[in-house]
Parts: sequence; structure tokens; C-alpha cells
Amino acid sequence: MTAALEFHGVHKSFDGNPALVDAFFTAERGEVHALLGENGAGKSTLMNIACGLYAPDHGVVKVDGQSVVIDGPLRAGVLGIGMVHQHFKLVENMTVAENIAFCHMTGAAGRRESLNGVKKRIADVSRQIGFEIDPDRRIDTLSVSEQQRTEIIKVMMGGAEILILDEPTAVLTDEESIRLLDQLKLFAGQGKSVVLITHKLREVFSHADKVTVMRAGKTVAAGKNPGDMSPSDLSRLMVGEATESGSLEPRTGGDTVLELKHVSATRANGTTALDDLSIALRAGQVYGLAGVGGNGQTELAETLMGIRHLESGEFLLGGKQLKKPNPRQLHARGLRCIPAERYIYGLAGDLSVMDNFAVSHLGNGKFGHAGWINRRAIFRGTQEVIQEYDILGATPTTRARLLSGGNAQKLVLAREMSGNASVLLAHSPTRGLDVRAYAAVHEYLRDACKRNVAILLISEDLDEVLAVSDRVGVINKGRLVGEFDAPVARDAVGQLMVGHA
Amino acid sequence: MQALSLSFLRGRRLTIEVRQKIGLGLRFATVLGAVLFGLGICLAILVSRNVDIASIYDEFIVFTFLNSAGIATVVVQSTPLVLVGLAAAMAFRVNYWNIGIEGQLFMGVVGCTIIAYFDIGPESLRLPLMFLFSILFGALWALPAALLKLRLNINEVISTLLLNYIAFYFVLNQVFGPWRDPKDNFPHSPRYDDFERLPGVGWEDVHYGLVVVAIAFVFVWWLIERSRFGIQSRFVGVNPRMVLAIGLPLSTITLISALASGSLAGLAGFTIAAATEGRLTFTLAAGYGFSGIVIAFLAGNRPVMVVIVAFLMGGLYVAGESMKVFYSLPDALVGLFQAVIVLSVTASEFFVRYRLRMAHYERV
Repeated sequence: MTAALEFHGVHKSFDGNPALVDAFFTAERGEVHALLGENGAGKSTLMNIACGLYAPDHGVVKVDGQSVVIDGPLRAGVLGIGMVHQHFKLVENMTVAENIAFCHMTGAAGRRESLNGVKKRIADVSRQIGFEIDPDRRIDTLSVSEQQRTEIIKVMMGGAEILILDEPTAVLTDEESIRLLDQLKLFAGQGKSVVLITHKLREVFSHADKVTVMRAGKTVAAGKNPGDMSPSDLSRLMVGEATESGSLEPRTGGDTVLELKHVSATRANGTTALDDLSIALRAGQVYGLAGVGGNGQTELAETLMGIRHLESGEFLLGGKQLKKPNPRQLHARGLRCIPAERYIYGLAGDLSVMDNFAVSHLGNGKFGHAGWINRRAIFRGTQEVIQEYDILGATPTTRARLLSGGNAQKLVLAREMSGNASVLLAHSPTRGLDVRAYAAVHEYLRDACKRNVAILLISEDLDEVLAVSDRVGVINKGRLVGEFDAPVARDAVGQLMVGHA
Repeated sequence: MQALSLSFLRGRRLTIEVRQKIGLGLRFATVLGAVLFGLGICLAILVSRNVDIASIYDEFIVFTFLNSAGIATVVVQSTPLVLVGLAAAMAFRVNYWNIGIEGQLFMGVVGCTIIAYFDIGPESLRLPLMFLFSILFGALWALPAALLKLRLNINEVISTLLLNYIAFYFVLNQVFGPWRDPKDNFPHSPRYDDFERLPGVGWEDVHYGLVVVAIAFVFVWWLIERSRFGIQSRFVGVNPRMVLAIGLPLSTITLISALASGSLAGLAGFTIAAATEGRLTFTLAAGYGFSGIVIAFLAGNRPVMVVIVAFLMGGLYVAGESMKVFYSLPDALVGLFQAVIVLSVTASEFFVRYRLRMAHYERV
């Protein structure tokens, strides 16, 4: 049987930095093929070659046994290759049907059809694959998982035979992920080929027929049957060494540092985001807030950051009630944040590492005064934290955008944790990070805890919450539906998260 | 991102790719190349109008930059250009698109004309008062648009642009009405007294506006490059949401930048009125607003670069002026050259962000 998609000896470098070195990969029809690797291992680069976004420096690409030149996404479409990217390529202020029609009008098919025709075909395709989507909804009113469905339907309507998905479950809840992966399995069962880029071992074992592992731009294991491998085999292949997750002694915690009492919040569209929520953080303790995404976590984080107006309830920090908490006041009182959206609330990507580090510390006297900034002191101070926090690939003058996810997150941590922090809000601090950076972030959280900082960890990753927290709360529809002290039974939390209490 | 192909050989493609790292040297070389490319086009335009190469060289290089009189003229010409360039840079770097520099410049001149016309203050303090009033009036004219933006989120591009027209028609009203010069009945204000004029420094026509520019430059350089405000405002331009989240006063920083921008524009008006023109005329602001935008853009909003670009732009004006006189070329020529150079530099951004490379596909 000829393979659906093959790569042989593919090289690709960006400005002399090799991203792919002699990479190879083969996906057959009828299988879900997991492409596993850490961030930066070259998985996305390889698949971006398949869909025509990058051209390889060298190498052979074959589709159905024929070697091909994929010189753009349109060519990829003609060859039946469709990719759902991590960042969706949708026009936000247009409807689902318009987005899909737009792609196919400009597509290679060369024929136009009415919007109603497109809507009918959307209905057909979504019935076929078991997705429901209203073609008249605007993209910006859709949830992330609905946007992803739109992308998948778009790709399928282009006649994709080879479907590539780049970390599709990164933005989905557990339940949604399983549904999606089940659908992909069915799709593969129809004789198509599905390539699943991921770094989640659980998905590989539950849904993949084959697995290829990449590390540092090289293929280190190709076309293996996941059933023949153990999780530790795979993670060793991925990171080159066994990763260990340290366990903690539960800490009882000191005084209550931050307290929210009966806080409610409403979203712009009128729905309830937070419903009479009360929560207390104690010094030297990690409070983990578990919950399925979209149950009020964002609004809670915004309230704590002081960028959301407090509608009702009380906000107490260090025993003092704050009437109108604002970010400035909160920062001065020792509240620090690791925001979920690193490059929106955490860093200015176009500015240097030293500017990004110094901007919160200009008032502490070490870096000169308001009238004269001591740039040399900032440079040295930044060099010190780069060392201390092991921020790889950074010099004080590097632009922050050039840092990888993990190192950018370390920079945020370094900035927030220098100085006199008393409370740390960590909102999805490891989202999108690889295994090593994931462990490093947890290490810093534990360190901060030892220094008597009260930590609130908001995360949709239950494993993370359970691994780090001394006390676990569960949020569902804006309410705190349960609180547990560590060690916590995973099942009990999981059931509360999905509302089976 | 797209690998656009310019195919010519099977298996080999010329592709366009995003650069991962952008070095300072590359950026500099690209801008330089673009300016040279733009100058090449300007040269072609001049040659097509039957100006020979030798006289172009004479006008643009020798008479403009290589002799004392030429340089002095360029310095005089670039005095207000540096100030409007700084004004634009001040606003643009916090993403506040002040298109109203021309109006603020006009109002700055109105400010100093009020002092001169009504003989306010003792003679010895007249110039300092005019200096202060031009700053004050420039800032005042920048204030409404800034407040509308910050309070009601009204687009400053529209409001500052429209305030230009209000300033212009107000000036027209004054020079055709109450402030019309009784001596010659022309539509301009009476000539300022001698003690209301910026004196010359004793080198050709160069006047003490040069000192005003030096003070303004040092102030802006300090504010942008060395003050705490400078670092904080850099974040306002790049990521305003982060500025809010880390608790910096976003509105205050924007307001200060907008007002500083207006003040500098007003000050530019002061150097024109108190030195070159010696009165309020309704043509004295012509083109300065847009030149300011061009200069700030080419200088990347950096004060040192603003001075350099403004000086070169001044040279372009001076040379263009003599082209007009001696070769009867149209007035619009200088504007055309500016536009050509700006377009080449804008387009060259492409080569900073992307690279061309050859891709090989092997056939098996």
C-alpha cells in the first residue's frame, strides 16, 4: 500500500538555525498518526511544509507515492492536504458560511456557488462528521471549540484526504477533546489519513494508531504502534531523559493574605460569570482552582488583576478591604500576576527583555529615579535574572518575542517575583509549554511558596492542579462548588468540574 | 509566511520567507538602500525634465551641503522641521496619531502674536513670553482631541485633522479681520517689533531658533530615552493592554505625550514667526504638519534620527527651491521627492521582514 503522505530527508533551517535535520515521516490511509514532540522539536515546521507554508531546503515530499512540489496552500489543497493550525485562520467579523465560501471561491476548484449552496454543503459535511454548527453565526461569537469545528469543516469541504491538526486539543476541555479525537478516528476509518500533532501522551495512547516522535528537528522513532510502548518509553524519546514530577508535602499555610467574599460578575453579553464566589488564599500555600475553561476563571483572574470592575462583594488584601481595587494599588500591596495571555497582558513582544523586566521595577530605587533611568543598572539586573531564572536564548537586549514560550514565561515570572510579592496569581502558567518548561514553572511556584507567598493557581489542566496544590477548589458556572485539602481524589474533583455533584 | 513561488526550474523555487531574527545592521542597510533607490528615481525625474546631471549635483550637493551659505540655509530651513518631527515622534510612539501638527503650529503662532500685537509685558520679557505662549497655545490646541480620545474614545486622526481646519480658518479670520496689517492692508498681522524677533547668531541667516531647537531636542531626548516616563510610554505604544494590567497610568502617559506633541508644534510656529516671517501669515504653516509625519516615520520616532532626517529634508527643500527658481520646475517637486523617498522606505520594510531564498525539491 502506498502511503498517503511521506517525507524523506527533509532539511529546513531558519537563518542558519536548523529546524529540521534529515526528518522523515510516513502516514498511511485509514490511520490516526500522532506526531509527538516537545515544543520546538520541528513537528509544526514539518507539517507546515506539507501544507505549503514553508518550502524545504532539501528533501522529498510524496503524496500517494508521487513526489510533489507543494509551493503554496492552494497546491496543498489540490493535493488533498488540509491543515487546521493552532491559531485559526478565520475572519472574525464574518459568518461561518462566509468564511468557508471565501476559501472555496478563491480555491482551486474555480467555481462559484451561492451562499445558500455553501450552507447546504456545510450542513451535509457537519452531519457526516457529527459536528453541529450554525453557518450563520459570526466567528467572533463562537467559542474556541466551535471555531475549531469551523476550521475542520472548512478543510473537509476543500476535499481533504490528509487532515493535519496542530495541537487541536490545546484549546479544548477534556470532554471536547475526547469528542474531537473520536471524530478523527471515525474520519480515518473512512480511508483518510489524519496527522495529529501533539505533546500529550494520553491522547497518543487513547486515540492514535501510529506514533512518530521528533526531537530537536530529527525523527527519533517513526511509525511505532503506541500499544507496544509505555508512557515512560515515549517521554524518554521526546525529551531524551526521564522526567520526574516531584511530589509535595501539603502545607497548612499561614495567615489569610487575600480574600474575596461573595463576588459576582457579569459578562458583556449578560451571562453570569461569577456567582457569589468566596475564596481565601493563605501565605505559603498553593490554592489550585480547577474547572473546565469558560466557567468564570478569566473573570476571576481579571477581578484579581484589578482590570475588572468589582460589581458586588468584598476584596480584602492583607486584611484591608479595597473598595475599588486597581492594578497599581494591588501591585504596590504585593499582588503579582502571571496572566494567561503572555503576549497580551504579560509582555510587550517588540520591546527588549530588559525593558520588559524593568518596567515593573522602576520605582524601587535600584534602577535610577524618575528623572534619570540607570540603563546600565537595568542591564546588569536583567543579566542577573536571566541567570537566576535560567532564561535560555535571552540577552538583555533580545526582543521578548524571540523567546520561546517557556523562556518568555520565565521572564514574566522573573519580573513578577522579584521584589516583595505576597500573593501570586498564576493563570494557566504552563499552557503551551513543553515538559521541561512545565517542570521549571512548577519549581518556581514551589520556591515562591517557601518564601511565604500565597499562590492561586487557576488551570484547566487537572494534572497540574493536583500536582502542585495544597488546597483545591472547583469552579463551575462561576460558583465554587467544592474545596478539598491535598491529597485530593482525582475523581471527586473531575466530577464536580463537569457538574456531576 | 506564504511561500510565494517565482518558479523557473523544476524542483527549484525562489521563495519568500519570514526572517526569524532582524539585525540592526540589516535594518540600517535596507533603509539606506531604499533612500538611495528613492533618490535614483528622483534623479530620473529631474533628468527627464532636462536638468543635466552636473547641475543636479551642484544644486543638491555643492550649493546645499558643501558651502557655508548653503549649509546655513539648510539649518534655517530645518529648524522648524526638527521641531515638527519631534512633535510627531512624541505622539506616534504612544500610538497617538496626531495629524493636527499644522493646526497646533498655527495656534502657537497665534499665541506669540497675541503677546506681540497687544504688547503684553515689558520689552525685555517679550520674547520669553512669546516662547511660553507658543508652547501653551500649541498644547491647548492638542488638548481637546486628546480628551475626546481618552474620555469618549473618539478617533484622534479625525479630530486632530479637523482641528487643523478650525485653526486655519481662525487665522484667516484674524489676518483678514482684526489683525490685518494697517500699514499695507495685506492679509497678515503687523510686523513684530525688533525686540520681538529672534536675533541672528552672526552666521548667514541662522538665528537663535537653533538654540530653541537644541533645548527642545535635549528635553525630548531626555524624556524619551532617559526618563522613567520614556520606558513606560514605550509600552503604551507597543502593548497598551499590558500597560493597564501592570498598573501604569495609560491615560496620563497618552495625555502627556499628546500635549508635548502640541507644545513642540507650537514651538515650531514660534521659530517661524519670530525669526523667519516676523508676523502671522496664513501660509506660514503650509506643509509642516505632513513633513513632521514624514520625518518621524523615517526616523523611527527616535529623537537623534529626527534631527538627522530633518536636516536632510531641509536640504531637499533648499535644493528644491533653487530648482524652482533656476530651472522653472514646479513647487510640487519637493513634495514629490519626499513622497518617492517615503514610499521606497515603506516598501523596503518588506526586505527587512522577509528574505528570498532558493528551495530544492528532489525528485526520486
